[in-house]
Amino acid sequence: MSLLRVERLSKTFGTIRAVDSVSLEVRPGEIYGLLGPNGAGKTTTISMISGLLKPDAGEVWIAGATFWSDPQKAKRIMGVVPQELAIYEELSGRENLEFWGRMAGLSSREARSRAAELLEALTLTDRAKDPVRTYSGGMKRRINLGCALLHRPQLLLLDEPTVGIDPQARLNILEFIRNLCAAGTAILYTTHYLEEAETLCQRIGIIDHGRLLAEGTLSELQERLGGDRVFVLEADFKNTSPDAWAGFHQRFRVIQKSERQLVVAAVGTRDPSECLKNLLDLPVHAENVTLKRPSLNDVFLQLTGRELRE
Amino acid sequence: MLRVLLAKDLRRARRNPLPWLINLIVPLAMTALIGLVFGGQSDSGALGRIRFAVVDEDKTLLSDLLRGGANQGEGGKYLEPVFMEREDALREINANKISAVLIIPTNFMRHYLTAREAVSLELIKNPAESIHPAVLEELLGAVVTALNAVSRNFNSEFPEWQAVVEGKEDYHKVSALIEHEGDKLKTVKKYINPPLVSYEKEAPADESTGVEVKNGATNSVASKSGTTKNASAKAGGSKTGATDAVFAYLLIGLSAMFLLFIAGNAMSDLYRELRQRTFERYQTLRDSLVPFLASKAVFAVVMLLLCSGMMLGGGGLIFRIHWEQPWALMTLTAGYTCFTAALFAVLVALMPDERRAAVLNNLAGMGLGLVGGCAFPPQQLPAFLREHITPLMPSYWFVNTARNLQDGGTGVAWGWVAFKLAVLALVLIVLAAILFRRRFKTGLRA
Repeated sequence: MSLLRVERLSKTFGTIRAVDSVSLEVRPGEIYGLLGPNGAGKTTTISMISGLLKPDAGEVWIAGATFWSDPQKAKRIMGVVPQELAIYEELSGRENLEFWGRMAGLSSREARSRAAELLEALTLTDRAKDPVRTYSGGMKRRINLGCALLHRPQLLLLDEPTVGIDPQARLNILEFIRNLCAAGTAILYTTHYLEEAETLCQRIGIIDHGRLLAEGTLSELQERLGGDRVFVLEADFKNTSPDAWAGFHQRFRVIQKSERQLVVAAVGTRDPSECLKNLLDLPVHAENVTLKRPSLNDVFLQLTGRELRE
Repeated sequence: MLRVLLAKDLRRARRNPLPWLINLIVPLAMTALIGLVFGGQSDSGALGRIRFAVVDEDKTLLSDLLRGGANQGEGGKYLEPVFMEREDALREINANKISAVLIIPTNFMRHYLTAREAVSLELIKNPAESIHPAVLEELLGAVVTALNAVSRNFNSEFPEWQAVVEGKEDYHKVSALIEHEGDKLKTVKKYINPPLVSYEKEAPADESTGVEVKNGATNSVASKSGTTKNASAKAGGSKTGATDAVFAYLLIGLSAMFLLFIAGNAMSDLYRELRQRTFERYQTLRDSLVPFLASKAVFAVVMLLLCSGMMLGGGGLIFRIHWEQPWALMTLTAGYTCFTAALFAVLVALMPDERRAAVLNNLAGMGLGLVGGCAFPPQQLPAFLREHITPLMPSYWFVNTARNLQDGGTGVAWGWVAFKLAVLALVLIVLAAILFRRRFKTGLRA
């Protein structure tokens, strides 16, 4: 049974449709990545799931019950890590953890012992007594994450938890999240970093302009491009168009076209050498042809017509 | 829950005490400022002794009488005249050692007795003080009015008296003159005794005495100071001194007003919680927002009680105000601080934009203070406000009840007012929680 189920969730701010009929499911021991650029609707989706925002339409089920049937019960099941550092800078790391533990319903003793465990797991024990304002960005991020884990939530909502930190600190956090997942926690992870979604998440949903454009495992998403390879042809395409080439659309699907570059995926399961030969036979002066495995960026490109990094 | 939330805020305040200290310094500074402006108190009387210089450039019998009368009898308790030359007196006033200089000009007596031209006494007030020079000005106005009254009644005998003063008349003539004046004095006795000057708190003059003391009403007093103030006092009847009543009245109103502003500052921590998303994080863990807001209000109330202690207690010490019912006043103040804290919780919920809210909060504080009669006596407010709006203001409930308590009124329902304020505070906290919840659900971003 899925721990989180979201059905046709929608939210509008004025004339802006921030989230448009988003549906997804997260199962125990699974990391579901919600991938999209800034402003795609990731945070709004998480805010609605965590009860901060009231959806205009749609429903959220937590462990089989709708969120609004018993919000306090749902809140006990989930932990939310906001994108911003929602911690008290004047307090120490330990005090922050203990405070949020008490807020989550732990007794003073439980909060103390759980805070010590988390400080150890987050490798922050030696700085536990220092005020958070003296911490590095990565350490603050780890405390921010820890504050949502005091009550051992079965479902963890992570809203871009690695924004603005160095690669080493990011790796530490990702490793910590993998361990949580291995322990059975269901995780909804929003990000705009392709690499994180590719390496961390078992299933990925691609979201843009509030709409969930595609979802599935990485290989399922790659399959949408027609297999596990794409071709990048570099030439002068200023005065020509694939529409003018006879039989081209029967053999290739255009992912992206610019004045200097054409990205295509082969239709069907044809041999790569045959595809290469077809491309070199095109009526353009090919300067370079590259064969590569399709990335999530290529999927995003195909779905939205623009790169995620733009 | 409330204890954990309060402990968290206490720790934060300990680690970052500056906002707290600023909030505590405001009432200290205000009390000190009022103390400086109004000159404080001494043990000898309500106002303390007024030290002023008398420059007698006339050096005649009449000027001697005026000099001598300055510190005789009851006047000696309050007045401390020092006699010196004009230059020395001006030096003293510049050094802020005296409150005013009274100059009796040359030919004062001659002009008075011949009544050929208007006589004038010159008063130079110390601009660094306000109350003492104003009191002297009022007293001098009374003296001049009395001299004018004498002049009007005894004008016909003045040439003979001038001759006496100049030593030109024999003793028989002098004794006849005295007897004649004695008869005349009997007819004006009621104007002179009981005391010539009496002040009433409400009415500026007692028409039956025929003496009205108004600033500038006596054309023979020339004041060189730019500012004047009316000093009002009560003619006995109260346990507290006249200035006690004035300062207590002022202090209660000013404290009520300042508590509103300080409450705005104290509750501004909510903006910080919104900005840092800690309030949102709290909401991801707890369904009810009331404990969070209540903890903020309790924390603010502690700060406000400290501030009110400084203002009312400190101000009381400076002005030697005897608070008539201190426990009742404390209870009332506690209720009022609860109300102010809860009010600003609602205002934060209504206006989560911190920059806009700063303006709104100040306006709200000022409006509530002014309409509630904190800054001006409610009787002076426009009729519509006074009759329909002011009585609805919780600030008015507080200041009016506190002032009634201080006036020694019996049967003042301070307990009921404190209870009303506390209940209103609870209602406002719940309202703030509802407003915050609604705003969160529709997408509140600080």
